[in-house]
This record gives sequence, C-alpha cells and structure tokens, in this order.
Amino acid sequence: MDSKKAAQIIVQGLKKAGLNFVATLPDLKIVELIRAVDKDPDIKHVPLCREEEGVGICAGASLTGKKTALLMQNGGLLNSCNGLTTTCLQFQIPILLLVYYAGDLGDRGFTTVGSVTEPVLEGLGIRTYVLRRTEEVEETLRGAQILAEDSKKPVAVLLTKSVLGVK
Amino acid sequence: MQRYDYLKAIAGDVGDALVVSAGWAAREWQALRSGDGNFRPRTLGLASSIALGIALGLPRRKVIVIDGDGAFLMNLCGLPTIAWQNPPNLIHLLFDNQCYEASGATETATVMGADAVALVKGAGYKHACWVKSPKGFREEFLKAWKRNKISFIAARVEQGQPVLPPIRVDELENKYRFIRHIEATEKKGILGPSDHRRR
Repeated sequence: MDSKKAAQIIVQGLKKAGLNFVATLPDLKIVELIRAVDKDPDIKHVPLCREEEGVGICAGASLTGKKTALLMQNGGLLNSCNGLTTTCLQFQIPILLLVYYAGDLGDRGFTTVGSVTEPVLEGLGIRTYVLRRTEEVEETLRGAQILAEDSKKPVAVLLTKSVLGVK
Repeated sequence: MQRYDYLKAIAGDVGDALVVSAGWAAREWQALRSGDGNFRPRTLGLASSIALGIALGLPRRKVIVIDGDGAFLMNLCGLPTIAWQNPPNLIHLLFDNQCYEASGATETATVMGADAVALVKGAGYKHACWVKSPKGFREEFLKAWKRNKISFIAARVEQGQPVLPPIRVDELENKYRFIRHIEATEKKGILGPSDHRRR
C-alpha cells in the first residue's frame, strides 16, 4: 500500500475514534499522514515547533472538550516527557500519542531512540500499542481513544513503517 | 512595583475570561479574581501552550495567560506556534523579574538583555509592548481586550509578593472545577458520563 492510501485509512480511523484536534511535528515517514490531517475539514491541525508544546496545546484543548492527538516521531516523544508527566499525568488529561516508531524492526539510523521508546513509555505508565497491520488501524485507534478517555491518561499508539505504507 | 500591583490593576477588567497562570503568580491571581475560571499548570513553560489550546477550543471566549520570564524563556519555540495559529481571543501577559524566583531567584537570561517583546515580535506577534506602570498596563490591557487580536503585554517587575492565603485546591480539583466552569458558562457538555453505560 502506498503512503497516501495508508494516511487516508489512519485519518478515517482517527475520525471514527472521535478525534478532532491533532498537533503535529514531521518525520519523513509521517509526512503524508500530516498532509492528510491538514487537509481534513473535520480536524483542527496545529503544526508545532517542538513536541512538548504540543502536549500543552492538546491538554488545553482537551479541557474544552476537544478530542486530541499528538502526532510525532519517537524522538519527539522523548522531548515531551516532562509535559506528559506534570501536565497530562498529574492532571489526568487524556491525549492520544501517535508516535512514529523510528528504530523499529528493519530501520537504519535510529536504533538508540528505538530501543528506549517502549521502556520510557512503560516508565511513564503510559499504555502502549504497536500498530503493524492496516486491518487493525480502526479498531486500535478507537480502542486507544476509549482507553485514554476512560483512564484519563495519555495512551500511545506506535506507528510502524508497514502501517504507514513507507519503506 | 511587584507583579501583584500590576495584576491588581486589571483584576476588575477581565470579565469571564479564562486565566492560565503558573507558579507564584497563580496564587496572586486567585487572591485577586477567585472562582473556577483559573487554571494552574505545573509544567514550567507550558502555560502559554495550554492557553493556546484553550483559546483554539473556545474561539469566542477570552483567554489570558500570565507568564513569567523563566517560563517564557523555556518555551520560546511555542511563540511561533501561537503566532501561526493567531488566536484573536488570547492575551499573553509577561512579568519579567529577571530571575527564577520560585526556584531560588537565580538570574534568567533577561538580566543580560533578552527582550521578551522583541522575541514575540520576531516570532510573529503583531501587537506587543512593554509597559512601565500598573496604570499603563491597564491601558494597554483594555486596548488589547478591545482589539480582539492576539496581544502581548510585558512589564519589568521587582521580586516578591504580599502574604497571601495558599490555594487549597490540588491539580485534579483544579481541572474538574475548571472544566465544570466551562461546561456551565459555555453551556456544553465536556466530561462524559461516568456510569459506564453505553453512551
């Protein structure tokens, strides 16, 4: 599957899960997904300069009733750890974390960030689901959003190259 | 003049604005404008970004962020994002005491001349100014309120604050009260039912 089609499937999954507010910072592997988010009239898109500000923006929007996601690379997840801890976890504010899993199986150049990603999320107590198959996109996104709202915490979905349609 | 003197000058002018402020400023503001429309983040630097999220979520509601120089400097990258979104309902206030006062009062980079107004203008804010007195602050604040375009007002202040009662509301209670306040004043449901029945 090509990355444009994959992006459409993920955006439709986000919308079916009720999301309507997405803050993003690019990685080459999620650029089609960001373009699809940007084009969608039902989703407010906030492009960021650094990922941790996205935690604040999404948290603020969540307080007003928006259903929010933060789309970024896993390096950006590491940038966001204090905000996730002292805003989202301390105040119990749900955000869906859509994290491109750089340094995952078969990826060159990012093994360090890849190897610490899941341990960091576990350390933060953020439940994490790795999304590898297109057929599981809709169910996983909907389920993760329900968990985020019900637990009042961030939930992370790690997006892999296969589900993004990229090499 | 201390920050409290400046905040006191506008406390009667903010109507039903939602106010985001962290650190010691939060206690001062709560003493001046009580109620549940004040949100008090705990992440140094994120108040302005949280305020942006609130302003985007409620575009017809005034949102005010009370920033300090330490927090402001920590989130410089948030400024172009705010300017890019350009929320007309957001007023950004900055009190520069040239130190990390709540963390022991060591100096911040503003002591060497880092200029907050120049920084926000460079980030894309169209309306930004320094004020030199609480009276001038109030005048600029009222202009910003009417302008209905994102505005930034900064003042150099002395360290210190009057003796004020502590806030006896923790983070979770602050969050719930703030959300319930928005639900009541905006007449909208935000929190879902908690009885786990099918929605």
